Amino acid sequence: MKHYSEDDLTLYYYYGEGRRRADIERHLDDCAPCASLYREIAGTLAMIAAPDVPERGDQYGLEVWQRIRHKLPEQDAPWWTTLFRVDRLGAAAAAAVLLVAAFVAGRVWQRQASAPAVAPIAVDTPTTATAAPAAADVRQRILLTSVADHLDRSERVLTDIMNAPDRGNISTEQQWAEDLIDASRFYRQDAIDAGEQSVADVLDDLERSLLEIVHSPSTVRAADLEQIRRRIDAATLLFKVRVMSDELRRREQASGSAAPRTSTRKTS
Amino acid sequence: MDATEAAAVLARARQGDSEAFRALVERHSRSVFRLAYRMTGNEQDAEDVVQESFLRAFKQLGRFESRANFGTWLYRIVANCSVDLMRSKQARHDQVRGDSLDDMLEMPAADAPGPERIAQSAEIQQRVQQALQALSPLERAAFTLRHYEGRSIDEISAALGLGTSAAKHSVFRAVKKLRVALAPLRSQES
Repeated sequence: MKHYSEDDLTLYYYYGEGRRRADIERHLDDCAPCASLYREIAGTLAMIAAPDVPERGDQYGLEVWQRIRHKLPEQDAPWWTTLFRVDRLGAAAAAAVLLVAAFVAGRVWQRQASAPAVAPIAVDTPTTATAAPAAADVRQRILLTSVADHLDRSERVLTDIMNAPDRGNISTEQQWAEDLIDASRFYRQDAIDAGEQSVADVLDDLERSLLEIVHSPSTVRAADLEQIRRRIDAATLLFKVRVMSDELRRREQASGSAAPRTSTRKTS
Repeated sequence: MDATEAAAVLARARQGDSEAFRALVERHSRSVFRLAYRMTGNEQDAEDVVQESFLRAFKQLGRFESRANFGTWLYRIVANCSVDLMRSKQARHDQVRGDSLDDMLEMPAADAPGPERIAQSAEIQQRVQQALQALSPLERAAFTLRHYEGRSIDEISAALGLGTSAAKHSVFRAVKKLRVALAPLRSQES
Protein backbone atom coordinates (compact mmCIF):
# COMPACT_ATOMS: atom_id res chain seq x y z
CA MET A 1 0.00 0.00 0.00
CA LYS A 2 1.37 3.40 -0.94
CA HIS A 3 1.59 5.73 2.03
CA TYR A 4 1.16 9.47 1.94
CA SER A 5 4.04 11.67 3.02
CA GLU A 6 3.87 14.16 5.86
CA ASP A 7 3.99 16.95 3.26
CA ASP A 8 1.07 15.48 1.30
CA LEU A 9 -1.02 15.03 4.43
CA THR A 10 -0.27 18.60 5.48
CA LEU A 11 -0.87 20.39 2.22
CA TYR A 12 -3.44 18.31 0.38
CA TYR A 13 -5.45 17.06 3.33
CA TYR A 14 -5.09 19.37 6.32
CA TYR A 15 -5.01 22.54 4.24
CA GLY A 16 -7.14 21.05 1.46
CA GLU A 17 -5.11 22.30 -1.51
CA GLY A 18 -5.56 20.60 -4.86
CA ARG A 19 -8.14 17.94 -5.54
CA ARG A 20 -6.75 14.96 -3.67
CA ARG A 21 -8.58 15.42 -0.40
CA ALA A 22 -11.24 12.78 -1.05
CA ASP A 23 -8.62 10.21 -2.16
CA ILE A 24 -6.55 10.85 0.93
CA GLU A 25 -9.59 10.60 3.17
CA ARG A 26 -10.42 7.16 1.78
CA HIS A 27 -6.82 6.12 2.30
CA LEU A 28 -6.81 7.32 5.90
CA ASP A 29 -9.87 5.18 6.61
CA ASP A 30 -7.89 2.07 5.66
CA CYS A 31 -4.31 2.91 6.63
CA ALA A 32 -3.49 3.06 10.33
CA PRO A 33 0.10 4.42 9.99
CA CYS A 34 -1.02 7.32 7.78
CA ALA A 35 -4.01 8.01 10.02
CA SER A 36 -1.71 8.10 13.04
CA LEU A 37 0.74 10.45 11.30
CA TYR A 38 -2.14 12.68 10.26
CA ARG A 39 -3.52 12.83 13.81
CA GLU A 40 -0.11 13.98 14.98
CA ILE A 41 0.15 16.68 12.31
CA ALA A 42 -3.39 17.88 12.87
CA GLY A 43 -2.90 17.85 16.64
CA THR A 44 0.14 20.09 16.34
CA LEU A 45 -1.41 22.49 13.87
CA ALA A 46 -4.58 22.71 15.94
CA MET A 47 -2.50 24.09 18.80
CA ILE A 48 -1.43 27.00 16.64
CA ALA A 49 -4.46 29.23 16.82
CA ALA A 50 -4.47 32.60 15.12
CA PRO A 51 -3.31 35.22 17.61
CA ASP A 52 -5.79 37.80 18.77
CA VAL A 53 -4.88 40.92 16.88
CA PRO A 54 -5.03 44.04 19.07
CA GLU A 55 -7.93 46.28 18.12
CA ARG A 56 -7.31 49.42 16.13
CA GLY A 57 -9.98 52.12 16.19
CA ASP A 58 -11.65 54.01 13.37
CA GLN A 59 -9.05 56.76 13.63
CA TYR A 60 -6.15 54.39 13.16
CA GLY A 61 -5.75 55.17 9.45
CA LEU A 62 -5.50 58.86 10.27
CA GLU A 63 -2.90 58.14 12.98
CA VAL A 64 -0.81 56.20 10.48
CA TRP A 65 -1.11 59.01 8.00
CA GLN A 66 0.04 61.56 10.58
CA ARG A 67 3.07 59.40 11.29
CA ILE A 68 4.15 59.02 7.67
CA ARG A 69 3.00 62.21 5.98
CA HIS A 70 6.29 64.04 6.54
CA LYS A 71 8.37 61.05 5.55
CA LEU A 72 6.88 60.37 2.12
CA PRO A 73 9.71 59.60 -0.29
CA GLU A 74 9.95 60.74 -3.87
CA GLN A 75 7.91 58.46 -6.10
CA ASP A 76 9.60 56.18 -8.59
CA ALA A 77 8.84 57.05 -12.20
CA PRO A 78 6.00 55.06 -13.76
CA TRP A 79 7.28 51.77 -15.14
CA TRP A 80 6.56 52.59 -18.77
CA THR A 81 8.65 55.76 -18.75
CA THR A 82 11.74 53.74 -17.90
CA LEU A 83 11.42 51.94 -21.23
CA PHE A 84 12.21 55.15 -23.03
CA ARG A 85 15.08 56.37 -20.91
CA VAL A 86 18.33 56.46 -22.86
CA ASP A 87 20.27 54.61 -20.15
CA ARG A 88 17.79 51.74 -20.36
CA LEU A 89 18.03 51.34 -24.10
CA GLY A 90 21.28 49.38 -23.76
CA ALA A 91 19.67 47.00 -21.30
CA ALA A 92 16.66 46.56 -23.57
CA ALA A 93 18.96 45.81 -26.50
CA ALA A 94 20.87 43.28 -24.38
CA ALA A 95 17.60 41.63 -23.38
CA ALA A 96 16.58 41.40 -27.03
CA VAL A 97 19.91 39.80 -27.92
CA LEU A 98 19.49 37.30 -25.07
CA LEU A 99 16.00 36.46 -26.27
CA VAL A 100 17.22 35.79 -29.80
CA ALA A 101 20.15 33.76 -28.44
CA ALA A 102 17.80 31.67 -26.29
CA PHE A 103 15.59 31.02 -29.31
CA VAL A 104 18.51 30.00 -31.51
CA ALA A 105 19.93 27.82 -28.73
CA GLY A 106 16.56 26.12 -28.40
CA ARG A 107 16.49 25.34 -32.10
CA VAL A 108 20.04 23.96 -31.98
CA TRP A 109 19.24 21.75 -28.99
CA GLN A 110 16.19 20.40 -30.77
CA ARG A 111 18.34 19.39 -33.74
CA GLN A 112 21.07 17.86 -31.61
CA ALA A 113 18.80 16.07 -29.23
CA SER A 114 18.87 13.00 -31.47
CA ALA A 115 22.48 12.42 -30.41
CA PRO A 116 22.86 10.32 -27.22
CA ALA A 117 22.93 12.93 -24.50
CA VAL A 118 21.24 11.47 -21.47
CA ALA A 119 21.17 8.17 -19.65
CA PRO A 120 19.97 5.27 -21.77
CA ILE A 121 16.25 5.26 -22.27
CA ALA A 122 14.17 2.40 -23.52
CA VAL A 123 11.41 3.57 -25.80
CA ASP A 124 8.50 1.26 -26.47
CA THR A 125 8.14 2.18 -30.11
CA PRO A 126 8.57 0.14 -33.26
CA THR A 127 12.19 -0.12 -34.42
CA THR A 128 11.61 1.57 -37.73
CA ALA A 129 13.37 4.54 -39.22
CA THR A 130 10.31 6.72 -38.62
CA ALA A 131 10.49 6.06 -34.86
CA ALA A 132 13.78 7.95 -34.51
CA PRO A 133 12.36 11.49 -34.41
CA ALA A 134 9.77 10.42 -31.81
CA ALA A 135 12.50 8.87 -29.65
CA ALA A 136 14.57 12.03 -29.99
CA ASP A 137 11.59 14.12 -28.88
CA VAL A 138 11.05 11.89 -25.89
CA ARG A 139 14.72 12.09 -24.95
CA GLN A 140 14.66 15.83 -25.28
CA ARG A 141 11.54 16.15 -23.12
CA ILE A 142 13.04 13.94 -20.44
CA LEU A 143 16.24 15.94 -20.49
CA LEU A 144 14.36 19.24 -20.25
CA THR A 145 12.21 17.95 -17.39
CA SER A 146 15.18 16.45 -15.56
CA VAL A 147 17.25 19.61 -15.75
CA ALA A 148 14.27 21.78 -14.74
CA ASP A 149 13.59 19.49 -11.74
CA HIS A 150 17.24 19.64 -10.83
CA LEU A 151 17.17 23.44 -10.97
CA ASP A 152 14.05 23.51 -8.77
CA ARG A 153 15.73 21.32 -6.16
CA SER A 154 18.83 23.49 -6.29
CA GLU A 155 16.72 26.62 -5.90
CA ARG A 156 15.35 25.23 -2.63
CA VAL A 157 18.83 24.66 -1.25
CA LEU A 158 19.99 28.12 -2.30
CA THR A 159 16.85 29.72 -0.84
CA ASP A 160 17.42 27.89 2.43
CA ILE A 161 21.01 29.06 2.56
CA MET A 162 19.97 32.63 1.82
CA ASN A 163 17.53 32.45 4.71
CA ALA A 164 19.53 30.35 7.13
CA PRO A 165 20.14 31.98 10.52
CA ASP A 166 23.68 33.23 11.03
CA ARG A 167 25.76 30.75 13.01
CA GLY A 168 23.05 28.17 12.37
CA ASN A 169 23.56 24.53 11.51
CA ILE A 170 23.41 23.96 7.76
CA SER A 171 24.24 20.25 7.72
CA THR A 172 20.85 19.38 6.17
CA GLU A 173 21.37 21.86 3.35
CA GLN A 174 24.90 20.54 2.88
CA GLN A 175 23.58 17.02 2.50
CA TRP A 176 21.11 18.17 -0.15
CA ALA A 177 23.80 20.16 -1.92
CA GLU A 178 26.10 17.16 -1.97
CA ASP A 179 23.36 15.02 -3.48
CA LEU A 180 22.89 17.62 -6.21
CA ILE A 181 26.52 18.13 -7.22
CA ASP A 182 26.96 14.91 -9.19
CA ALA A 183 23.69 15.42 -11.02
CA SER A 184 24.72 18.98 -11.78
CA ARG A 185 27.99 17.82 -13.40
CA PHE A 186 26.14 15.20 -15.41
CA TYR A 187 23.57 17.68 -16.73
CA ARG A 188 26.23 20.30 -17.45
CA GLN A 189 28.09 17.83 -19.65
CA ASP A 190 24.84 16.96 -21.41
CA ALA A 191 24.12 20.60 -22.01
CA ILE A 192 27.61 21.16 -23.45
CA ASP A 193 27.19 18.13 -25.72
CA ALA A 194 23.86 19.47 -26.88
CA GLY A 195 25.36 22.92 -27.56
CA GLU A 196 23.28 24.48 -24.76
CA GLN A 197 25.97 26.82 -23.53
CA SER A 198 23.62 29.08 -21.55
CA VAL A 199 22.27 26.08 -19.61
CA ALA A 200 25.82 24.81 -19.06
CA ASP A 201 26.90 28.23 -17.75
CA VAL A 202 24.10 28.33 -15.18
CA LEU A 203 24.88 24.77 -14.09
CA ASP A 204 28.55 25.68 -13.82
CA ASP A 205 27.78 28.65 -11.55
CA LEU A 206 25.41 26.47 -9.58
CA GLU A 207 28.01 23.75 -9.11
CA ARG A 208 30.51 26.25 -7.67
CA SER A 209 28.00 27.48 -5.13
CA LEU A 210 26.93 23.96 -4.20
CA LEU A 211 30.58 23.00 -3.67
CA GLU A 212 31.12 26.04 -1.51
CA ILE A 213 28.09 25.11 0.60
CA VAL A 214 29.26 21.49 0.96
CA HIS A 215 32.78 22.49 1.98
CA SER A 216 31.70 25.00 4.62
CA PRO A 217 31.63 23.94 8.26
CA SER A 218 28.25 22.57 9.36
CA THR A 219 27.88 25.20 12.04
CA VAL A 220 28.69 28.06 9.80
CA ARG A 221 30.05 31.36 11.06
CA ALA A 222 28.09 34.48 10.19
CA ALA A 223 30.98 35.80 8.10
CA ASP A 224 31.26 32.57 6.08
CA LEU A 225 27.55 32.45 5.49
CA GLU A 226 27.60 36.06 4.39
CA GLN A 227 30.38 35.27 1.94
CA ILE A 228 28.41 32.39 0.40
CA ARG A 229 25.35 34.59 0.12
CA ARG A 230 27.36 37.41 -1.43
CA ARG A 231 28.66 35.06 -4.12
CA ILE A 232 25.18 33.75 -4.82
CA ASP A 233 23.98 37.35 -5.06
CA ALA A 234 26.91 38.48 -7.18
CA ALA A 235 26.23 35.75 -9.70
CA THR A 236 22.46 36.53 -9.53
CA LEU A 237 22.32 32.77 -9.24
CA LEU A 238 18.85 32.35 -7.76
CA PHE A 239 17.41 34.54 -10.49
CA LYS A 240 19.25 32.65 -13.23
CA VAL A 241 18.20 29.27 -11.83
CA ARG A 242 14.56 30.34 -11.69
CA VAL A 243 14.54 31.83 -15.18
CA MET A 244 16.30 28.85 -16.68
CA SER A 245 13.94 26.42 -14.97
CA ASP A 246 10.91 28.31 -16.29
CA GLU A 247 12.41 28.45 -19.76
CA LEU A 248 13.10 24.71 -19.82
CA ARG A 249 9.61 23.90 -18.60
CA ARG A 250 8.13 26.14 -21.26
CA ARG A 251 10.15 24.37 -23.91
CA GLU A 252 9.28 20.98 -22.46
CA GLN A 253 5.59 21.85 -22.70
CA ALA A 254 5.98 23.16 -26.23
CA SER A 255 7.83 20.00 -27.19
CA GLY A 256 5.22 17.83 -25.43
CA SER A 257 2.28 19.47 -27.14
CA ALA A 258 3.94 19.23 -30.56
CA ALA A 259 4.82 15.55 -30.34
CA PRO A 260 2.43 12.62 -29.81
CA ARG A 261 2.73 11.01 -26.38
CA THR A 262 5.01 7.99 -26.28
CA SER A 263 5.32 5.42 -23.55
CA THR A 264 8.78 5.66 -21.99
CA ARG A 265 10.73 3.82 -19.39
CA LYS A 266 13.92 5.21 -17.88
CA THR A 267 16.47 2.48 -17.32
CA SER A 268 18.90 4.30 -15.05
CA MET B 1 -15.89 54.56 -1.47
CA ASP B 2 -17.30 52.74 -4.52
CA ALA B 3 -15.17 51.09 -7.20
CA THR B 4 -15.17 54.08 -9.56
CA GLU B 5 -14.24 56.47 -6.80
CA ALA B 6 -11.52 54.10 -5.57
CA ALA B 7 -10.04 53.90 -9.07
CA ALA B 8 -10.03 57.71 -9.34
CA VAL B 9 -8.33 58.05 -5.95
CA LEU B 10 -5.73 55.50 -6.96
CA ALA B 11 -5.08 57.27 -10.26
CA ARG B 12 -4.52 60.58 -8.44
CA ALA B 13 -2.24 58.92 -5.90
CA ARG B 14 -0.19 57.45 -8.73
CA GLN B 15 0.33 60.95 -10.03
CA GLY B 16 1.81 61.96 -6.68
CA ASP B 17 -1.31 63.47 -5.08
CA SER B 18 -0.59 63.01 -1.36
CA GLU B 19 -4.19 63.69 -0.33
CA ALA B 20 -5.33 60.82 -2.52
CA PHE B 21 -2.68 58.61 -0.96
CA ARG B 22 -3.94 59.65 2.45
CA ALA B 23 -7.35 58.24 1.50
CA LEU B 24 -5.68 54.94 0.60
CA VAL B 25 -3.79 54.88 3.90
CA GLU B 26 -6.96 55.53 5.87
CA ARG B 27 -8.79 52.83 3.99
CA HIS B 28 -6.21 50.06 4.23
CA SER B 29 -4.38 50.71 7.53
CA ARG B 30 -6.35 48.31 9.68
CA SER B 31 -6.04 45.36 7.32
CA VAL B 32 -2.33 46.12 6.88
CA PHE B 33 -1.86 46.15 10.65
CA ARG B 34 -3.74 42.87 11.01
CA LEU B 35 -1.48 41.07 8.53
CA ALA B 36 1.66 42.70 9.93
CA TYR B 37 0.75 41.61 13.45
CA ARG B 38 0.19 38.03 12.39
CA MET B 39 3.43 37.99 10.46
CA THR B 40 5.62 39.53 13.15
CA GLY B 41 3.82 38.41 16.31
CA ASN B 42 4.15 41.68 18.20
CA GLU B 43 2.55 45.07 18.22
CA GLN B 44 5.62 47.28 17.95
CA ASP B 45 7.04 45.39 15.00
CA ALA B 46 3.64 45.40 13.34
CA GLU B 47 3.46 49.19 13.67
CA ASP B 48 6.91 49.49 12.10
CA VAL B 49 5.81 47.26 9.24
CA VAL B 50 2.63 49.31 8.69
CA GLN B 51 4.65 52.49 8.43
CA GLU B 52 7.36 51.04 6.21
CA SER B 53 4.81 49.35 3.95
CA PHE B 54 2.95 52.56 3.20
CA LEU B 55 6.18 54.47 2.59
CA ARG B 56 7.34 51.74 0.23
CA ALA B 57 3.94 51.66 -1.46
CA PHE B 58 4.00 55.43 -2.03
CA LYS B 59 7.48 55.25 -3.52
CA GLN B 60 6.54 52.41 -5.84
CA LEU B 61 3.07 53.58 -6.83
CA GLY B 62 4.34 54.62 -10.24
CA ARG B 63 5.19 51.01 -10.93
CA PHE B 64 1.76 49.77 -9.88
CA GLU B 65 -0.29 48.64 -12.85
CA SER B 66 -3.77 50.09 -12.67
CA ARG B 67 -5.34 46.83 -13.89
CA ALA B 68 -4.10 45.07 -10.76
CA ASN B 69 -5.86 45.10 -7.42
CA PHE B 70 -4.35 47.67 -5.06
CA GLY B 71 -5.16 45.60 -1.96
CA THR B 72 -3.36 42.55 -3.37
CA TRP B 73 -0.38 44.66 -4.40
CA LEU B 74 -0.22 46.26 -0.96
CA TYR B 75 -0.58 42.81 0.65
CA ARG B 76 2.62 41.71 -1.10
CA ILE B 77 4.45 44.78 0.08
CA VAL B 78 3.37 44.13 3.67
CA ALA B 79 4.44 40.48 3.46
CA ASN B 80 7.85 41.46 2.16
CA CYS B 81 8.32 44.28 4.67
CA SER B 82 7.51 41.81 7.43
CA VAL B 83 10.10 39.34 6.12
CA ASP B 84 12.69 42.12 5.87
CA LEU B 85 12.01 43.26 9.42
CA MET B 86 12.16 39.72 10.81
CA ARG B 87 15.42 39.11 8.96
CA SER B 88 17.05 42.21 10.38
CA LYS B 89 15.80 41.36 13.86
CA GLN B 90 17.02 37.81 13.54
CA ALA B 91 20.44 38.99 12.39
CA ARG B 92 20.68 41.18 15.50
CA HIS B 93 19.46 38.44 17.83
CA ASP B 94 21.75 35.83 16.33
CA GLN B 95 24.70 37.84 17.53
CA VAL B 96 23.75 37.02 21.08
CA ARG B 97 22.18 33.60 20.78
CA GLY B 98 22.87 30.32 19.01
CA ASP B 99 20.58 28.18 16.94
CA SER B 100 17.28 29.29 18.29
CA LEU B 101 15.33 26.11 17.57
CA ASP B 102 17.97 23.97 19.19
CA ASP B 103 18.13 26.35 22.11
CA MET B 104 14.42 26.14 22.53
CA LEU B 105 14.38 22.37 22.38
CA GLU B 106 17.10 22.24 24.97
CA MET B 107 15.25 24.51 27.35
CA PRO B 108 14.65 22.75 30.64
CA ALA B 109 11.12 21.41 30.57
CA ALA B 110 10.75 25.02 31.44
CA ASP B 111 9.38 25.14 34.83
CA ALA B 112 8.59 21.46 34.65
CA PRO B 113 4.99 22.22 33.89
CA GLY B 114 2.51 19.72 35.20
CA PRO B 115 -0.45 18.53 33.18
CA GLU B 116 -2.69 21.19 34.67
CA ARG B 117 -0.40 23.99 33.62
CA ILE B 118 0.18 22.51 30.20
CA ALA B 119 -3.54 22.41 29.72
CA GLN B 120 -3.64 26.13 30.17
CA SER B 121 -4.03 27.81 26.86
CA ALA B 122 -1.67 30.66 27.77
CA GLU B 123 1.14 28.24 28.43
CA ILE B 124 0.57 26.50 25.12
CA GLN B 125 0.41 29.76 23.27
CA GLN B 126 3.63 30.90 24.83
CA ARG B 127 5.39 27.77 23.60
CA VAL B 128 3.78 28.18 20.20
CA GLN B 129 5.08 31.74 20.01
CA GLN B 130 8.57 30.55 20.89
CA ALA B 131 8.35 27.88 18.23
CA LEU B 132 7.19 30.41 15.64
CA GLN B 133 10.00 32.76 16.54
CA ALA B 134 12.50 29.98 15.96
CA LEU B 135 11.46 29.67 12.31
CA SER B 136 13.41 31.48 9.63
CA PRO B 137 11.70 34.70 8.47
CA LEU B 138 10.67 33.13 5.18
CA GLU B 139 9.32 29.99 6.83
CA ARG B 140 7.37 32.05 9.30
CA ALA B 141 5.96 34.28 6.57
CA ALA B 142 4.96 31.34 4.38
CA PHE B 143 3.43 29.50 7.34
CA THR B 144 1.50 32.59 8.48
CA LEU B 145 0.08 33.15 5.03
CA ARG B 146 -0.94 29.47 4.75
CA HIS B 147 -2.11 28.75 8.28
CA TYR B 148 -3.57 32.03 9.54
CA GLU B 149 -4.44 33.79 6.31
CA GLY B 150 -5.61 30.71 4.38
CA ARG B 151 -3.62 31.63 1.30
CA SER B 152 -2.90 28.99 -1.34
CA ILE B 153 0.63 28.03 -2.28
CA ASP B 154 0.29 29.99 -5.53
CA GLU B 155 -0.74 33.10 -3.63
CA ILE B 156 2.10 32.66 -1.13
CA SER B 157 4.52 32.20 -3.97
CA ALA B 158 3.32 35.45 -5.61
CA ALA B 159 3.30 37.40 -2.34
CA LEU B 160 6.81 36.40 -1.33
CA GLY B 161 8.31 36.34 -4.81
CA LEU B 162 9.21 32.66 -4.59
CA GLY B 163 8.85 29.79 -7.01
CA THR B 164 5.95 27.45 -6.22
CA SER B 165 8.23 24.69 -5.02
CA ALA B 166 10.18 27.07 -2.79
CA ALA B 167 6.91 28.34 -1.27
CA LYS B 168 5.75 24.78 -0.59
CA HIS B 169 9.11 23.87 0.82
CA SER B 170 9.01 26.85 3.20
CA VAL B 171 5.61 25.77 4.53
CA PHE B 172 6.74 22.15 4.89
CA ARG B 173 9.91 23.11 6.73
CA ALA B 174 7.90 25.33 9.07
CA VAL B 175 5.42 22.55 9.85
CA LYS B 176 8.22 20.05 10.45
CA LYS B 177 10.02 22.39 12.83
CA LEU B 178 6.80 23.20 14.66
CA ARG B 179 6.01 19.50 15.07
CA VAL B 180 9.41 18.91 16.61
CA ALA B 181 9.21 21.96 18.84
CA LEU B 182 5.68 21.24 20.06
CA ALA B 183 6.02 17.47 20.41
CA PRO B 184 6.68 17.68 24.18
CA LEU B 185 3.39 19.49 24.64
CA ARG B 186 1.53 16.89 22.64
CA SER B 187 3.06 14.00 24.52
CA GLN B 188 2.14 15.59 27.84
CA GLU B 189 -1.37 16.25 26.63
CA SER B 190 -1.94 12.69 25.52
